[in-house]
Amino acid sequence: MAYWFELAAGGLITGGIYAVVALGLNLQYGLMRIMNISHGEFLMLGAYLTWLGHTVLQANPLVFLPVVALALFALGVAVYWLCFQRITRTAPAVEAIEARSLLVGFGLMFLVQNVAYLAWGADLRGYSFLTDPIEIGGARLMTNRLVVFAFAVGASLLLLAVLRWTLIGKAVRAMMQSPTGAQLVGIDTRFLHPVVFGAGIALAGVAGALLSMVYEISPGMGEPYTVTALIVIVLGGLGSAIGCLLGGFLLGLVETFGMHFTSPSLKMLLSYAVLTGVLLARPKGLFAR
Amino acid sequence: MNWKTTLKVIAAALLAALLAPAFAQDAPVKIGYAISRTGPFAAGAQISQEPNYIMWAEQVNAAGGLSVKGKKRKIELIGVDDRSEVETMVRSYEKLMASDKVDLILPPWGTGMNFAVMPLAQKHGYPMLPPTATGRKLLGMKNPYFFALLQQPDSMMNALAEFMKARGVKTAAVIHVDELFGLEQMGALELALKEKGIQIIEKKSYPIGVKDLQPVLNDIKVKNPDAFVSLSYPPDTFLVTGQARAIGFNPKLFYAAVGAAFPVYRDKMGPAAEGVMGLGTWNPKMSPQAKAYFDAHVARWKKEPDRWASAHAWAGLQILEQAVAKAGLDRKVLRETIAKDEFNTVIGKIRFRNGENISTPGVVSQWQSGEFEVVWPPQNATSPAYFPKPNWK
Repeated sequence: MAYWFELAAGGLITGGIYAVVALGLNLQYGLMRIMNISHGEFLMLGAYLTWLGHTVLQANPLVFLPVVALALFALGVAVYWLCFQRITRTAPAVEAIEARSLLVGFGLMFLVQNVAYLAWGADLRGYSFLTDPIEIGGARLMTNRLVVFAFAVGASLLLLAVLRWTLIGKAVRAMMQSPTGAQLVGIDTRFLHPVVFGAGIALAGVAGALLSMVYEISPGMGEPYTVTALIVIVLGGLGSAIGCLLGGFLLGLVETFGMHFTSPSLKMLLSYAVLTGVLLARPKGLFAR
Repeated sequence: MNWKTTLKVIAAALLAALLAPAFAQDAPVKIGYAISRTGPFAAGAQISQEPNYIMWAEQVNAAGGLSVKGKKRKIELIGVDDRSEVETMVRSYEKLMASDKVDLILPPWGTGMNFAVMPLAQKHGYPMLPPTATGRKLLGMKNPYFFALLQQPDSMMNALAEFMKARGVKTAAVIHVDELFGLEQMGALELALKEKGIQIIEKKSYPIGVKDLQPVLNDIKVKNPDAFVSLSYPPDTFLVTGQARAIGFNPKLFYAAVGAAFPVYRDKMGPAAEGVMGLGTWNPKMSPQAKAYFDAHVARWKKEPDRWASAHAWAGLQILEQAVAKAGLDRKVLRETIAKDEFNTVIGKIRFRNGENISTPGVVSQWQSGEFEVVWPPQNATSPAYFPKPNWK
């Protein structure tokens, strides 16, 4: 029994990690249609900031989280202002935002990644934090992974609540459904757009900070996470916070149990089979409305 | 620029012009290479390989230059980033050899990359001494210009199997990365274990980039093998160590392949690294020469060299240096010299037979109080092995 519980917990935790990675991109792509393909690079920056904080300042990575979030939020607003503002303002349609931001995102990806190579070199880096296992119901789980999991659940629920029940959440959703309409009813999209984009980058940074506790980091670490994030978002439904969380869980569980019953080498096959299955049954994702 | 610096520049230029004729016949020796500075191979290449190239050229130049049949000439390194792409790497070497006509080349990083550039080296007649290429498949090409420095999979896995037999290990569980490296090592290990009568009770493969191996480790823990061998790449080596510790899977022997020899492994794992075995070759305690190399590396790069291929990279450069001193830059003669002579290097004497380094034995290494000690075979050991492995800390 404990064995199965451990497997399930392992799957959920991996799913939680996937969800955390996808949260930020979900804000940008799901809600604003900005296809920020450099998402993983900002995640990498968050990871490096935390690593620096831990090794240079001896800062506790968890205490350092708000610093990372704020720094990346500021960076995100600056990036929006420099790169994406023109695109969102001049695009004739939502589809044009997607296509154009994709190109800008590619450029950003190379730029940020190479800056990191210049600054820190290509070495693997890492530190040890909260690696002691905790026993829950007979299953032994790593503390740092549990922290990531808790954050994934907490942040997803918070995001869901903000989007659904607060005025600013309604404004964000309105802005997406009809930019012109939103402006007509007095929503300041010039203010809201950079803020939501910045929040997306901040979440990417926080995800990176959390992942740096679990995995080692390198300047090239971001790209695979961008792909994971895209799968999770498409699985869960664009812009749906709860879809992002449950999409991550589904992926994590299928992988863990699939690896147990078949071979770990089939992991990719399993992930894409889930994605294909969901897209066939619900082309707009599990929780799209 | 103010007038003082302007004056200095002019003075320097005049001096250079005066001295130029004296140096005219001593053009620098051009040595070209392509290596991964970005992309997925960059981590490995920048830990084990390129820092050694740069440090070697600096050291040789500081000592007056590379001795070419007794005449000292400065080294000019021409290094380009291959972005971890095979095509970029091959194109770069084609350019270096065919149009830049460099005097010598240094190899790229990794088995796959070296495999791809081998035919080119033969076509243009450049000897190459790769420190990070392993596999019988490469030697099977019978390329006369190719000299593999790294111990072959069978030699490393035989050493591991011998150690297991000597310590009475009866059963082993093995996981391996689903890629040429993992498959070759796996094949060699299966053969070696069979010979020694050690039973493999679980065998699983996993893909590159895996993020969770706990389900696999749980299965293996239940079967309770004496030894656990993970023929893994760096990120998975970290993953498998962390997760084995988390679930309290502590077999008598815990072996992880690539990455265990990196100093970052010890730094990231902390006390958990204690007693973990892996692919390694050397450490600074092995000889005064090894210690000197280690200290120079730390002084130049502010980081330790890894305990596996870094020293092979340095040995390759030493071999090249000694061969050029004797044979000069005629690459045919140079190749003959490398193929026939014995060389004195940081990892001991090295001699090649059919492109294989037949002098460096397969070894087993183990982390003990912050150093990756060589623990097997006994005549090469720098410390006795911890067996059984102490409990995870």
